[in-house]
Amino acid sequence: MQRIGVFLCSGCGIGEALDVAALERAASEEKAAHRAVHPCLCSPQGVATIRAAIDDGSVDGVLIAACSPRAKVEEFSFDPLKVAVERVSLREQAVWCQPPNHEDTQLLADDLLRMGIAKLAKMSLPVPFTAEISDTVLVVGGGVAGLEAARAAAAAGHPVVLVESSPTLGGRMSGLTHLLPECPPYDVLHPNRIAELVAKVQVDERVTVYTSARIQHIAGQPGQFAVTLTTPQGEKSFMAGAIIQATGARPYDAGRLPHLGWGSSPNVITSAQLDEMLAKGSLQRPGDGALPKRVLFVQCAGSRDPQHLPYCSAECCGTTLRQVATIHQQHPDIETAVVYRDMRTPGQLERFYLAVQSQPHTMLTRGEVERVSGNGRGPLQVHLRESLLGNDITLEADLVVLAVGMVPNAADGEAVRALHDAKVRAEKGDSETQRRDAAALAEQLAHHEGTEILHLEYRQGPDMPVLKYGFPDSHFICFPYETRRTGIYAAGTVRAPMDPPQAAEDGWGAAMKAIQCIEAAKRGAAVHPRAGDLGMPDFFLQRCTQCKRCTEECPFGTLNEDVKGTPQLNPLRCRRCGICMGACPERIISFPDYGVDRISAMIKAMSVPEEFEEKPRIVALMCENDALPALDQAAAQRQQWSPWIRVIPLRCLGSMNIVWIADALSRGIDGLLLVGCKSGDDYQCHYVRGSQLAQTRLGNVQETLTRLALEPERIKVVELSHHEFSRIPQIFNEFSAEIEGLGANPMKGF
Amino acid sequence: MAAIPALLPSTAFRDQLRRRGGESAARCYQCATCSSVCELAPAARPFPRRQMLLAQWGMADQLAADPAVWLCHQCNDCTVRCPRDARPGDVLGAVRSLAIEKLAFPGFLGKLVGAARLTWPLLLALPVLFWVTLLGLTGRLTPPAGLEAGWAYDALVPHSFIYAVYFPVAAWVILASWVAGRRFWTALGASGPRSGSFLGNLMPALVEVATHKRFGSCGAARPRKLGHLTLLWGFVGAAVTSGLLIVGMYIQHLPMPLALDHPYKILGNVSAGLLIVGAAILVGNRLGDRKAAGASSAFDTFFLSVVVLVIATGMVVELARLAHAPSFALSSYILHLGFVLCLFLTFPYSKFAHMLYRTLAMVHARMAGLEKR
Repeated sequence: MQRIGVFLCSGCGIGEALDVAALERAASEEKAAHRAVHPCLCSPQGVATIRAAIDDGSVDGVLIAACSPRAKVEEFSFDPLKVAVERVSLREQAVWCQPPNHEDTQLLADDLLRMGIAKLAKMSLPVPFTAEISDTVLVVGGGVAGLEAARAAAAAGHPVVLVESSPTLGGRMSGLTHLLPECPPYDVLHPNRIAELVAKVQVDERVTVYTSARIQHIAGQPGQFAVTLTTPQGEKSFMAGAIIQATGARPYDAGRLPHLGWGSSPNVITSAQLDEMLAKGSLQRPGDGALPKRVLFVQCAGSRDPQHLPYCSAECCGTTLRQVATIHQQHPDIETAVVYRDMRTPGQLERFYLAVQSQPHTMLTRGEVERVSGNGRGPLQVHLRESLLGNDITLEADLVVLAVGMVPNAADGEAVRALHDAKVRAEKGDSETQRRDAAALAEQLAHHEGTEILHLEYRQGPDMPVLKYGFPDSHFICFPYETRRTGIYAAGTVRAPMDPPQAAEDGWGAAMKAIQCIEAAKRGAAVHPRAGDLGMPDFFLQRCTQCKRCTEECPFGTLNEDVKGTPQLNPLRCRRCGICMGACPERIISFPDYGVDRISAMIKAMSVPEEFEEKPRIVALMCENDALPALDQAAAQRQQWSPWIRVIPLRCLGSMNIVWIADALSRGIDGLLLVGCKSGDDYQCHYVRGSQLAQTRLGNVQETLTRLALEPERIKVVELSHHEFSRIPQIFNEFSAEIEGLGANPMKGF
Repeated sequence: MAAIPALLPSTAFRDQLRRRGGESAARCYQCATCSSVCELAPAARPFPRRQMLLAQWGMADQLAADPAVWLCHQCNDCTVRCPRDARPGDVLGAVRSLAIEKLAFPGFLGKLVGAARLTWPLLLALPVLFWVTLLGLTGRLTPPAGLEAGWAYDALVPHSFIYAVYFPVAAWVILASWVAGRRFWTALGASGPRSGSFLGNLMPALVEVATHKRFGSCGAARPRKLGHLTLLWGFVGAAVTSGLLIVGMYIQHLPMPLALDHPYKILGNVSAGLLIVGAAILVGNRLGDRKAAGASSAFDTFFLSVVVLVIATGMVVELARLAHAPSFALSSYILHLGFVLCLFLTFPYSKFAHMLYRTLAMVHARMAGLEKR
């Protein structure tokens, strides 16, 4: 920006702890066009002074040197298309965490101010993005989650296309006689109203339903998905603004459970088969067609078992309770027994559990079913280990029901892509070894062949990436429905195992997200997690070397590639994390208010004393999603830490470009601390892979440092959760001590 | 451990348990809150969690031979804390009533009293009818004419009648109790080794019975403990008075009826007072906080009612004599004799039998090293 206005606040104790007049002089040294000090900048009068400067055109960049960018967000909001704003956190990063009126505190504040001005000077205003955006929501899957999603989106005025692969709507719920209790006192079965829901959706004129239909392909980006379906009526093409994947789940393959009698006796069935019988009102032993006298349910059949489904499917306990109650309703004389490892009946379901337990001829007991033996004729023997009676026991039953878990109906997009790549390499590989290895990989991944559901034309694969258990990846605690494909939301049992009421709620939730996405796309704004961010990534493609690091590392599949490997940007898929920017060795990617040169400018703007013994300098690159809020929290508690640290907030640690490390070390900075979110299976990164990618990049850097005779310990990565704010002083102080132990950066003064 | 074949829980047992007020056993999910709050459970063999499980599975044989079932005083500390409202105290009460029936000799009498819910009119009426018939046949259904003030009940029903009926009945009850008690003792022995002498351990057990020290450690049932202890000592006083009267009549040749200030009379009336107070506390407790008091099954109510009827008619009998109302006195006396006979005869089969089984279980617990916490 050309005309920078620096607005200093002296409230909240800033004026008492710092020499604000000196800071104003520093701003004038940095050639700020406009400077002002206000005793309470967030007050209407304070904000008015900023607005006046914007309105009279004297500033196009506003630097607010007051509190954390996470505080007073409403007050300090200005038209993003008119003015660039940068916040310098004097209060949290200097006043609250350092001794007042100390020379080092003043130096820290001075640095923070100069860094902010340097960054702001390099910022530009976003260019409004306009494109034709489709209002249509595509719902994939006509089970309860899909139907509710369609209903919700239609109720909000959006056209909906509902695609279902089977000939009828309703999904797995349509075969059920009853549902679990849904209203007080939660102890009697609830009628299944799925038919009413199907009818409501079918008569809704906003909803177009295609049954027995498949997706041929989906190209484009949020707001502009070009969808082609194969339907019995022929090919259908249309635009959609957002997509909800509600493809549900299927029962785990009982064929893999021979030890539980599956296959050796026809009288061992799955809960899905029992539901079919109960729906027809014809409960019988498949072996001889007789009415069973004793029915035994085996819970966790193949679930919570590392050999089968390692996870809990959450609804099988409820399903069994529902079936036990239904059997009792249809045949009060049949004895039922349930052998469980733990009954998991969250919420009000506990009341129904109690009601079923109290029912005559019903017995629920804990135990591990080791095996089920018997044939089609006599009763089955169910062998239990670790029964509560303290010994191994055998139970007899005429019919054994295996409560099997759920497997999501989702394709592993990345694996499908890897299979495709391996096949290409096996054909046209450079060497015999490469071709052989690729063929082996293709063999290993062969079971992904033909599993595609969404058929996305994305460089990273035709379906969404999945978590380790095969559910489409999402930050499911903070951001349910989110997936790693912007504008595509997962709902219902494909997202996580759940029961019908939860799936219904999921459908509504995903519909709300889809609508948000369409509305954001219309404004050219990011939808999540930097909601409303109007800045688009800019690729200076003339300098691109087609290294494909950006197209491979983007966690959201934003970039496609042309045949040469040049990235093709789909800006509406972008989440503005800057991971591509961190990956790019040519540094050709930037955002209007964020870029490699912006951060480099900040590093260069700070003062680096040449005498190490007095003033070592450490740069802390901190993720603004978890680490920075944690720092604010620690500061709010007036925790104190080393005055040598200069914090630079990053959108994601994954946006860290290694040139910053080079810049910092060559400037004589003595240490670099990189603070990101937790990585791994329980990652907390808003952008999924940020900290992990930063770690990988840093591994390469540290090798280089060793070659340059610099201690690799000068750079340290720390993973921090928001709630671990009390660790901040310890992290900072320990690292400061380590750096003091290492001594001065030998490049200091060069 | 060898696998044992087990069927699904016995439906018959569950139905029985339901009729005895123990159907809530099915609600138990084995969290063991009950065992950890129980003040009486030995640390080495805590109860009643395991007994709840046995009740769910319908393992009647194991329950009938389990001392824990009887070490429980049904104070309901567990019931008031059970998160599932499975009411372990009531379940054990029901289990005890089934155990009494199972151990009874002869079995059909156990079943007859066990079904008190249906048979109570018969059980109450038959002994009364017996006395009416006996006195009717001997022409004593009306008081003799010309009774003077200061008459004794011997004039209405001769003592010889009383001895002729109650001594054989007592002998029979002792025999029936002996057989059932032996069965129980043998079954208990199978549950673990015992050491020490029976009599040597009986004394401390009787001291415990006399003081209710363990019962007193229960939290929820303090009023019941007081009522029960008062009632117990009332019965002891009444029994001692009866013995003293035999001494008084046949050795000291005291004139009957005794004056109100005679020590034997005072003892008798104090005992009666204790009985009234004790019974009133117990009845009041049952009518009050139902959860802490426990469910009142027909089996429980029958026994308590007989006790109350015996006490009430006994009081009326004394007052009627003092009021010189011979006709009323005789009819009350017939009822009193009938109810006492009922109480005697049902001793091995009604809740009264807890006196026998609980004492034996306490002796067993001492001998098997289960009494220590």
